[in-house]
Amino acid sequence: MTEVKTYSKLGEALSKGEFILTGELEPEKTTDLSHTIQEAKEMAPYVIAANVTDSPLGIVTINSMAATHLIQKAAGLECVWQMTVRDVNKLGIAGMIMGAHALGIRNVLSLTGDHPFLGDMPESKPVFDLDSATLIKLVREMVDNGSINGNEIEAPPTLHVGAAANPNAEPMGAEILKIGRKAEAGAEFIQTQVVYDLDRTIEFLSEIKKYKVPVLLGIFPMKSYGIAKGFDTFVPGVSVPKEILAKWKSVKKEVTDKKQQKELYDQYNYEFFKPFVTELRNKNLLDGIHCMAVHYPRIFPKLKDIIGN
Amino acid sequence: MVVITTKKPEEEVFEALNNFKVKNILVVSCGVCAALCQTGGTEGAEEWSEKLKERGFNVTNAIVSDDVCDNRVMKKDLRKIDDDVKKSDAILTLSCGLGVQSIIEVLTKTHPEIPVFTANNTEFMGMTERIGRFYMRCKGCGDCLLNETGGICPFTTCAKALMNGPCGGMVDGKCEVGNYEKDCGWILIYNRLKELGRLDLFSKLRDPLDWSKIGHQREVVWR
Repeated sequence: MTEVKTYSKLGEALSKGEFILTGELEPEKTTDLSHTIQEAKEMAPYVIAANVTDSPLGIVTINSMAATHLIQKAAGLECVWQMTVRDVNKLGIAGMIMGAHALGIRNVLSLTGDHPFLGDMPESKPVFDLDSATLIKLVREMVDNGSINGNEIEAPPTLHVGAAANPNAEPMGAEILKIGRKAEAGAEFIQTQVVYDLDRTIEFLSEIKKYKVPVLLGIFPMKSYGIAKGFDTFVPGVSVPKEILAKWKSVKKEVTDKKQQKELYDQYNYEFFKPFVTELRNKNLLDGIHCMAVHYPRIFPKLKDIIGN
Repeated sequence: MVVITTKKPEEEVFEALNNFKVKNILVVSCGVCAALCQTGGTEGAEEWSEKLKERGFNVTNAIVSDDVCDNRVMKKDLRKIDDDVKKSDAILTLSCGLGVQSIIEVLTKTHPEIPVFTANNTEFMGMTERIGRFYMRCKGCGDCLLNETGGICPFTTCAKALMNGPCGGMVDGKCEVGNYEKDCGWILIYNRLKELGRLDLFSKLRDPLDWSKIGHQREVVWR
């Protein structure tokens, strides 16, 4: 059996088959990362790593590679650098991958990225020289072969590369074949888009199991009714179940004490996600969960309880 | 195939002419693509002649030419009216960008001093459903993928020109660009290949476009 090389805590845990928890951090349009670092510190005892987003929705923020490096250094938390192919061409990305390694980054999540037209600099040139599959292929060539386009890298980078998957995508068939391409390109882990529909998730995860890539399920615990409603309204293709919205609304309306409100939201999230995750885990469809709820670090002890290790 | 053009805002055209302080204008209108797009042809030539006169310009002549973009045709047509060309201190072209540059190249030896302006914006090479409904289906990348994608071009129909789509911006077969009103190019490809029973082609991991082949100032010269 070939020995699996691991370069990070995340890579090591996945290779050992541990059931893991990852979080997400969203640096903003600022050079001051103190709030993000504080969140990272709060979630650090519970997660194995946290993703650092790359200008989501095409709204420009501090560069994700710089933020990943600074958060790792200041919070002592391993990160997954989210890299979109939106803004940099192949040549630039190859340079960034070496730069990321030199800055101590050991995990990268390959993403297409939201189109600039959606964001706050719609006049920007959309690059998309690579796509999310060919970025994975590039990383694996640089790491495994120590080369780019056949040209040797003197000291090659060592990073694990992950892929995104969307169980909500319709038609699902196209998404499944796309995951196949990412697996062929060399994806070492998958983090899914947020899901609420258990049956659909079971169907999707059962289909992609054949690709033998560890899957971390994207979940979005909602810290308030406003967040839940906003998520339901503004995130295309994902609906928050009506009963959740009703339950969260009742907390907002009926509970006046803020502390009690928080406790209830946390408890309801726990009650929804525990059976959801447990069922998927029992069916052997999951390798961990990826919590995408940013600015909600107090939920992590409960999520840790769900994964149970 | 038609090179699709739309009219520039009138004021933008007059601003360009005024910026060059020109007075005597020769109007050259395209009788083919621009005529079809209603940005040229006989009507366009008449319309612009009137507009120019109203603004105090002198129109030396207004001609409609087939294939303004064809150097041979342009050379012949302009030679016929050389006296009017000599009286003109600018040419206003009602054609696509090719027409403008064709005239410049044709006149480069005889009348290099005459600036050539356009009244149109060149949009794309288009497929015609009917007059007034033109669609971009090909961007002329020079390395056609259609044999592998069910005859639908991802470089053109995918907003991100991805080689391995669809991306996460697809919702129910629609694209995030343009508020989910347009079809996702990669879902069109998926559905077409499914119809053809060739989803194996959809599954293929494709390399990025080779921009070294796409190049710039492309030419097709075979004699």
